[in-house]
Order: sequence, then structure tokens, then C-alpha cells
Amino acid sequence: MSIPKVVGLEQEYAIKLKPGDENLTAFDASNALIGCYAREIGLREPGVRMIWDYGHETPFQDIRGGENGKSTGQQIVDPEENRRINTCLPNGARLYTDHAHPEYSTPECRGALDALACDKAGERILLQALNSLNRDLPWYQASLYKNNIDHQGHSFGSHENYLIEAEAHQDFLVEHPETALRFLLPFLVSRQVLAGAGRVAGAGGPGRPYKISQRAEFMEAVFGLETMYQRPLINTREEHHADPHRFRRLHLILGDANMCEIAGFIKLGSTQLVLQMMEDGFLKEDLALADPLAAVRIIADQHDAAVELADGRRLNAAQLQQIYCRAAEDYLRAGVAETPPQAELVVQCWQEALDGLAAFKLGDDLEIEEDPGDLCGKLDWVLKLWLLNRFRAVKGLAWGASQLKVLDLQYHNIEPGQSLFYRAQEQGLVKRLLNDDRIEHFRQHPPEDTRAYFRGKCIERFPRDLFLVNWEIVGFDDGEVHRMVPLLNPLKGTKRLCQPLLERAQNAQILLALLQGEA
Amino acid sequence: MGQMQKTSKGKTKKAKKKKQEEPAPLEMSPGQKKKLKELDEFMESVLSEAGEEFLDEFKQLEGE
Repeated sequence: MSIPKVVGLEQEYAIKLKPGDENLTAFDASNALIGCYAREIGLREPGVRMIWDYGHETPFQDIRGGENGKSTGQQIVDPEENRRINTCLPNGARLYTDHAHPEYSTPECRGALDALACDKAGERILLQALNSLNRDLPWYQASLYKNNIDHQGHSFGSHENYLIEAEAHQDFLVEHPETALRFLLPFLVSRQVLAGAGRVAGAGGPGRPYKISQRAEFMEAVFGLETMYQRPLINTREEHHADPHRFRRLHLILGDANMCEIAGFIKLGSTQLVLQMMEDGFLKEDLALADPLAAVRIIADQHDAAVELADGRRLNAAQLQQIYCRAAEDYLRAGVAETPPQAELVVQCWQEALDGLAAFKLGDDLEIEEDPGDLCGKLDWVLKLWLLNRFRAVKGLAWGASQLKVLDLQYHNIEPGQSLFYRAQEQGLVKRLLNDDRIEHFRQHPPEDTRAYFRGKCIERFPRDLFLVNWEIVGFDDGEVHRMVPLLNPLKGTKRLCQPLLERAQNAQILLALLQGEA
Repeated sequence: MGQMQKTSKGKTKKAKKKKQEEPAPLEMSPGQKKKLKELDEFMESVLSEAGEEFLDEFKQLEGE
């Protein structure tokens, strides 16, 4: 029987600095942002020495065997340098610099709604850090964008991670990858019709001037280890951050950054359900695509274009998604396994969006002619297209106008006063699933139903006693020895299991003794 | 005009037909029209604030 599909997101933010000073780098600005936020929440106080432990990271090891021999990041041994680029937060998340981008990794979540709220909490954290940076270090005058492209040929990721049962993972990704090709790839390739963030491609390029996805054109392999070139639809990194005998991590790098809550919720919740159905052998219809990489581009170019299946059928993205959505409905009804929190809401939103797509129509110049399902208020690519079309109509602009690319980027600006998305939301044009209190809660507190709870609470309560943290360990500096508390099971370390211990622990030493049954 | 029609939630074929008959919109309340005008002005101000060099200045390093 399938295991709960714990999910976490990793969002790299674009960072733009005030032009003119070549000595200011994105790397330094990103580190400064992290320092600003860490200081604001008390994690740069004297005595706080916690570092991020890279010891369990093996990004160049492939689940299919082999390793490409590159550095694993473990060369970062200087604790000062480690702390400059990393901070672990009391909400169980990690805020850090990845290459030259500030990156926020959410804590592990059981439900898609919590994961969505944690992702939105990440935006708030970055916004708070940004305000602090621009106030305290005004020479940076930075802006941050939650997107995936720079319109100059570079991309950065919005990665998703899902907990997979070890045997199932081995089966459908390593020993029988055709299973993933039949059941998972068609879902992932077509998912962009709901979760694409939209991108102005401009005039003169191949296909239409507006694509529904940002990441689609950067996908160059079906399976693979890389994340910065030859990007694969399914990443085969062997880095599970949990007991590898029981758990594996499915690392997906093809998704876009979502601003719309409904789009993000459908993306996460539907993927949880599809993975769970795969583990339970519930998916029966072979939907293997004739050419998955071609299909991802065809759909990105035209949301209703049909793609060819290996068996000769031709279906469009919404039709493919409909097959999965219907299967999910049957799956929930059959009660095969413990389903993710809010699974019914996921299916409801998924189906409503698909109904909306069935009646959605674009004109010859990509003007929105029919949108009875109000996809404009739910899906990023539709909302952005609508905003751009408005501006084009008012100004009489053709798709080649550079202003449209600027507006495309500003849609993702996280500062409400600069963001097209947030202005549209403020105007009541965007349908919401979350309230601000829930987002604020996850800015400060960890999810209660995964190991993130224990990690977050230890950081909140005992920051001076912590020596290191990573996804699967909380390490205490216990005088003459370091004592490591393993968190190898993402489903443990929960509030239900740990709160009684944490309540009794007046300090870290008592907590460690309680954990060992000594107190 | 197509965009304005789209904003009026749930106006489908009927709205489209109307578009052909009368180019000026539509079935929006004064409040809705005001909001859309504000949105247009906002987009203009965002562009103006970004400046002409914005796209060049936005260049990012490759990420994962």
C-alpha cells in the first residue's frame, strides 16, 4: 500500500540589483538577504553557531548507478562561510544561497494546502528579508522575483520533492522506467496546462509569441541527473534525505513557479495523487507519449494542441489530465489507501479547471474569447495572458514589444507595490484558497504532521545548543560531544509524537535525555 | 475589447455576440471599470519605473 506523499518545494528567486556598481554581486546580495532575515528572527545572536550539514548531499549520484565525479558541496567546511550562505528557520525551512540565487526550501508537508501555504510563507520571508536589506544596506536596492527565466536564455528552478516508497521508486524509475513513461510522464508533461506560469516569447521565434510554461523549453532529457543543463523531465538524483531502505525522494525540476494559489494547489495535490495511484498500481491506462520532449514543447506553445501517444492516439493536455483526474476520483472512492489531506478539494479544483479549459477559447492573436470557468482568476498563464492582452489593447502593442517581457517579469515581483500578480489579487481578480493568517502561521511555525515539526521546534527553542541541521538530522552540541538526533522517517518527529517531550524539556540537555529514555 | 469581456466573469457566448454588435464594452459596473482602469495605470507605472534598460539589467546567472 502506498505511503503518504510528503511534499516539499525549493524555489530559487531571481534577484535584480540597482545597476551601476559592478562590485555588487547577486551572490553577495543573496547572502546579505539571508543574514538580514536571520538577524531579524534572532539567529545571528552571539552563541548561535548552527550550520547546514552538507554531509548527506550527493547531488551527482544517480539512482540508476554511476556518478559524474563533480564536487558535492561538501568542500564548504568553514563554518563562517556555511552560516553566511545558510540559515535554518524555526518553521522547519531552509533559506540559503544556491549559486547566485536566494533559495527557499519549504519544510516537509503532508497536505498540498500546507505546502502551498509554506511556499507563500517563503515569499513573505523573502519580502521581509528584502525590506530589511534595502533599509540596512541601501546600496543594493534589490528586487526579488518568484519566476524561472530572465528572458536572456537563463533559467532557475522551482523544484518539487515527493516521498516515494523505496521499492516502488526502484521499480518504476530504475528497473522498469517504462512504467514512468506510461503513467507518470504523460501527467507531468500535460500538467503545465494547469500549472504553467506563462512566458512572453515575443515575435520571430518558433511557434506562438506566448507560451504557457516557463520551464518547458529548458527541458532537454527525459531522465537525467543534471539540473543546470540537459535538464530532465524526471531527475534521477540519488539523494533521498531519509532512510533509503524505506524511502526515496522523487525530485522534479520541470515545474514553474506559481503565484496563483489554485494553480499551485492543483500542481502539488494532483501530483501527490498520481504518485500515490502509481504506488498502488491503480493506474491502468497506458498513456505513453510518442515523444515526451516534443510533447512538452507542443503543449507549452499551444494549450489545446494534440500530442501523439505511442499507440497512435492524439490527445491534448486537458484530455490527458482528465484521464488522471477521473482516475483520482475513482481512487478516492475506492478507498485504496490513506489519501492525502484535502484530496477531495484537490480533485474538485482539478476538475473545475479542466471543465474551464474545455470551454476556454483563444482568438487568432491570443486574445481570450471565452473563459466561462474563470481560469483568469485561477491559473497563472491565463491571468498573465489576460493582463498582457489588456495592456496590448490599451497601447496598441504587437507581441514583439519589449514592454511585454518587462510586464511578464514584473508579474512575479514579490513586492506588492511592483507586482502585477499581487495588484490583480488586490483588485479581487484572483480566487484564493488561503487566508493571510494561515500563510503567516507557516512563516513562523512548522507543519505539525512531519519531521519538520521537531526540527523547527528545536531551532525555535534551543538555537544555541544546535551544532548542525539538515533534512534528516538535528545535531546538538552537548558539551564534549555532538549528539545527533536522526530524522530518517519524514512521517515521524510530528507534534503528536514530540510535543509531550518538548513540553517537559526545560533545556536541550533534558530533551536529549528524554529522547534516550534517561529522564 | 475581448479582454474587457473576459473580466466580466461568466460572460461567454452572449458577451461575444455583443462584442460584434457594439465595440464598446460592456456589462461592467462603474466600480469594475474603475478597478480595470487602475490596473492599466498600474501596469504603466510599473513599466515607467522599471525603465528602458530593465531587461538588460535583469540578467540572471543560470540556476538549477
